[in-house]
Amino acid sequence: MNNNVIVIGGGPCGLEASAQLHKMGYNVILIEKDDHLGGHLAKWDRLFPEGIPAKELLDQLTGNINGVKYFLKTEVKSINLLDKEYNVILSNGITILAQAVLMASGFDLFPAQKKEEYGYGIYDHVITNADLENYFKTGKDCRIKQNPQRIGFVHCVGSRDEKAGNRYCSKVCCATAVKQACEVKEAFPDAQVYCFYMDLRMFGRGYEDLYLKAQRDCGVRFIRGRVSEVAEDLNKQLVVKAEDTLSGKPIKVTLDLLVLMSGMTNCSAGTRIAEMLSLKRDEDGFFTCKDTIFSLQESDKSGVFYAGACTGPKTLPDTLHEARAAALAINNYIKNKE
Amino acid sequence: MRERIAGGYDPFVLPFVIGMIFIFIYLFIALIRVFRAMPGSDRKKFFLSLLNPTIMYKNIRDVICDCLLHIKIFKRNALLGYMHASIAFGWFMLIVLGHIEVMLFVPQRNGTLHYPIFYRYFVAEQNATLKGAVFFFLMDFFLLVVLSGIGLAMYKRIRSTALGMRRTTKPCFADRVALWCLWSIFPLRLLAEGFTAGISGGSFLTKPVNMLFANFLGNDMNVLPTWWAYSTALGLFFLALPFSRYMHIPTEVLYIFLRNAGLKIHHPRKGLAEAEIYSCSSCGLCIDACPMNMQKKNLKYSSVYFVRFQRRNNKKKINEIAEKCLMCGKCVALCPVGVDSCGLKQAQRATVTDKLPYNYSFLASAHHQGGGPSMPLAPVSGSATGNEVTANAAAHGAGNATGNAAQSAVGKDKVLYFAGCMTHLTPAIIKSMTTIFDAAKEDYVFADKDGGVCCGRPLMLTGKVTAAKEVIERNREMIQDSGCKTVVLSCPICLKVLKEEYNLKGITLLHHTQYINQLIDQKRIRLNHSEESFVYHDPCELGRGCNIYQEPRNVLSAIGELKKANKEKKESICCGGSLGSLTLNYHDRVKITQESLKALTFDNPDKVITACPLCLKTFSDQSTTPVADIAQAVAGNLK
Ligand code: SF4
Ligand code: SF4
Ligand code: SF4
Repeated sequence: MNNNVIVIGGGPCGLEASAQLHKMGYNVILIEKDDHLGGHLAKWDRLFPEGIPAKELLDQLTGNINGVKYFLKTEVKSINLLDKEYNVILSNGITILAQAVLMASGFDLFPAQKKEEYGYGIYDHVITNADLENYFKTGKDCRIKQNPQRIGFVHCVGSRDEKAGNRYCSKVCCATAVKQACEVKEAFPDAQVYCFYMDLRMFGRGYEDLYLKAQRDCGVRFIRGRVSEVAEDLNKQLVVKAEDTLSGKPIKVTLDLLVLMSGMTNCSAGTRIAEMLSLKRDEDGFFTCKDTIFSLQESDKSGVFYAGACTGPKTLPDTLHEARAAALAINNYIKNKE
Repeated sequence: MRERIAGGYDPFVLPFVIGMIFIFIYLFIALIRVFRAMPGSDRKKFFLSLLNPTIMYKNIRDVICDCLLHIKIFKRNALLGYMHASIAFGWFMLIVLGHIEVMLFVPQRNGTLHYPIFYRYFVAEQNATLKGAVFFFLMDFFLLVVLSGIGLAMYKRIRSTALGMRRTTKPCFADRVALWCLWSIFPLRLLAEGFTAGISGGSFLTKPVNMLFANFLGNDMNVLPTWWAYSTALGLFFLALPFSRYMHIPTEVLYIFLRNAGLKIHHPRKGLAEAEIYSCSSCGLCIDACPMNMQKKNLKYSSVYFVRFQRRNNKKKINEIAEKCLMCGKCVALCPVGVDSCGLKQAQRATVTDKLPYNYSFLASAHHQGGGPSMPLAPVSGSATGNEVTANAAAHGAGNATGNAAQSAVGKDKVLYFAGCMTHLTPAIIKSMTTIFDAAKEDYVFADKDGGVCCGRPLMLTGKVTAAKEVIERNREMIQDSGCKTVVLSCPICLKVLKEEYNLKGITLLHHTQYINQLIDQKRIRLNHSEESFVYHDPCELGRGCNIYQEPRNVLSAIGELKKANKEKKESICCGGSLGSLTLNYHDRVKITQESLKALTFDNPDKVITACPLCLKTFSDQSTTPVADIAQAVAGNLK
């Protein structure tokens, strides 16, 4: 019997799981559809709560996968169960027989243009959280003016929004918004920053401090209420209408930049593979774990495992834990089989 | 021609006569009830309409086309149309011919109820004579027509798809009684006349029957029992009639008269509404029409059941269905009787919602208020909350209010552009429209640039009529004060209510599809003819709601190839996002959206084009084919 394990997705989750499985002596084959490893992490600048550079984490993760075979720009063409082994055909023509498959396919960002009322792709100065990270990383984004005076953040874009098709909370965007709010304030000290939120979900250790810092040190104004619509005036400034539900008054704010906190949706490439395997998915599109407390890493098909954001929005620490847990679960499974 | 029975009477006619008298009395009382429940002005309007030759002509035409020939059903499905028409028209002709026979040949019996019906029993004639031959033939011919219709009806009960219907209604008890009577009336008539044909004469149908039975049955012995059976079937039918769906036969005539007189629904169950409710034939065409019925569990919300519960006055069910309906109007458009079930549902909703408290005092100050930045506004539209539509529609009424148009210096030749709350949620449409206005060098005023008052339609749809009137009045003033003679709207929801409720005399109301079409005709904009192919989605409120079907198609043909959808125009499927439903959940809506998209993309167009901001939003969320508003498509192809 071979000891091949296939890991689908080369983001932080796939990287960490591969490293662990490799250490356990498995022959790991990591498949990534993009031309680089690291997934969303590779495009991010700094991480909450302390603002550690994303690159540091990424370097650490990639440094650990020496010996793991990985294919970039490669997709799964077909996958099926052949007598307790998975037969996987890749888009580069290679066929692999594997004992187990780990879905570490992660998430897609909610396409912000779907919330058309916020004007992403229509107005000149509307960007997403990912665009802002890219700006911090590269210093380039023509949508961000020289010295923006008023900057707004819209929480829950495509999350907790039945009309957008996603009822769930994306978990990380509140903390991301607060982190980014502090960061833009540092980048543009003259700017007034607003956050339009429904609830602030600052649940993790150190997150609350971040929130206090945003209010105390950065003067970020938190407005509880949803943005109803955004318009552009003749000066290309954004006119944002929202309701301040705490004071019970509708408000209107003119902004130079609006940042949309796109939430997470299940990765479309991962979903495609799941369909080939007829894996169960929940109503929200994410994969269904074997149960919701004890066996989070197992799927409804034996030999297929899950880790990370493919089973729902997760923070990076959560994801890395799951990657390790999945490696352990796979090890147990294969040992049992033998 | 000679009378066989002295006195012209036999006890077997009794069941029929009793049934007939019962139904006459019943109908008379019902008629009085309908008129008494009407507002006096409506009664006056109705009686005046009887003096108006155009309306009378329309009445007669509609009665012939709808009640007898069922032309509308014919157009949908020839076989189904034939089924309805053969029974209705055939039966009608049998009655008329019976009366003619009585009038011509036994005038002393004029005025008796039973003579024209049981003519063959009472009067003998030879088919050798000319009058005998003609009438015998005609009577047999129409009997055959009816019998063929009954045959089809029986077949339809077993296999409805053969007659183009996926689903039919479930009959209630009285329906069943009436149905069995109806089905047996004509075969029994054939038997009765067949047995009598040896004595009274017959033609190509009744003669052979007579001969056939003569071989093994003593004909004369069977004469009376079959006539008894025939008369009983008729009598029973009339007794069951008021409680069954067949009540539509007499009521439909009344409804046609009331409708053509231009009466409107005032109460969900009384007056005009009552006539409407009883005009429904339970044909079930509205079941297949309804987009909610993609899912079997929603069958119970079909208009036919709404009407049925209205008859039974089952408040709980009535409200449940009234609140569920998307008000897409498809069932109304396809209903052969023209039952305006959406109007009934709206009136029903009003009984629940109209009295709910609201406060639009801000409207008074809204008139001359400029909307400066960061300034507190009146309650903002709640559509971004992702809540159910109820909250939405209610909040919409309280749309933010500023009066831009009123302040601007405006003149006669200008066009007033009214985007509407929905369009403000799809800024791409506004951007495209301003591009088009500029390209056409149109002098226009943007009425609700900084937000405006809701048009009132969402409130109307929820039944909050009084509240709607307030916002309507406020907008009406704004439009009239602007001095503009043309209003261009981007949202069909606004357009419909402006047309129906605003009473804007001398002002032309155009949806932007119509406006753009005019610009093209007048060569005020020049367009590229691209390689792209489009399919056009008829938004409910624009197509069925305002009867605008051709202009958008002209526009699209000018910029690319127009492909056909599987269901188009009147039959177009609601996008699923309709403001009309108060309770339909997100999941059921998604199913409708997907079905609608499936019908639209069956010919693989490059783009789905719609002309309503709400459709645009709804489709964009689900579609794999790109979706755009017609204004976007045009703005993208300006030369
Ligand atoms: S984490 Fe915050 S911003 Fe993100 S979906 Fe949840 S509540 Fe909304
Ligand atoms: S409402 Fe119209 S379409 Fe529906 S069953 Fe009645 S008559 Fe037929
Ligand atoms: S209006 Fe539309 S949703 Fe409502 S019952 Fe008729 S077809 Fe169905």
